[in-house]
Amino acid sequence: MSKSILALCRQAPYGNALAREGLEAVLAAAAMDQTPAVLFCGDGVFQLVQQSPEGIGEKNLRRNIQALPMFGVETLHICRASLQQRGIDPVAIELPGAEIQLVENTTAFIDGFDHVLSF
Amino acid sequence: MKFTLVVYGAPHASEGAASALRFARALLEAGHSLYRVFFYGDGVHNGSALAAPPQDEQDLLGQWQRLQQAHNLDLVVCIAAAQRRGLLSESEASRLEKSAANLATGFTLAGLGQLAEAAAVCERVVTFGG
Repeated sequence: MSKSILALCRQAPYGNALAREGLEAVLAAAAMDQTPAVLFCGDGVFQLVQQSPEGIGEKNLRRNIQALPMFGVETLHICRASLQQRGIDPVAIELPGAEIQLVENTTAFIDGFDHVLSF
Repeated sequence: MKFTLVVYGAPHASEGAASALRFARALLEAGHSLYRVFFYGDGVHNGSALAAPPQDEQDLLGQWQRLQQAHNLDLVVCIAAAQRRGLLSESEASRLEKSAANLATGFTLAGLGQLAEAAAVCERVVTFGG
């Protein structure tokens, strides 16, 4: 009765708590053996670039991202258009233990899942 | 059909909170079943017993509670998101040595696993707010 689940990460890392809470939900689901696929799109792609949020008193969200492969989320899907619109070079995104997969057609990709949890 | 609703919208702040309530009522009236309502992010404030909106505005908390009683709904507030925002049950308040508890009757605190489990068993997961 298991369902395929996609977590959609749409928020920039520190503007909205949903960025952190979304990743926490992904890790919790993965810990329960219901590992969702993850797609970063819109401002959510900013979660993937290097950050130094100490200046605003925030914990670095990259730690949660880095934990994803350890929890079984081994492929990070990223919307290519979102990267291009924000001037982010895909080559600059690297995560030890994770495979980066750029998604051209996000509509078709999202359509392939039973459920979408958008964060 | 079996539904789970995920609510990110805070009551009286985001339309998402009120829309979730109306959607819940509509799906029950249409004969579907509501497996769980999971309040996450700012949506945890929907479970605050201390909300006191003006009398000429809708009472979202009271409406959730009446719907919960009528249909024995599982209204789950994410415990981690709730602690951050100051929404505590009696036992959490005492464990964290806080001076008051404010989780409304009809709501329960539980972990994120309840969201994952609900997604696994429901045909539809619908998100409000955020």
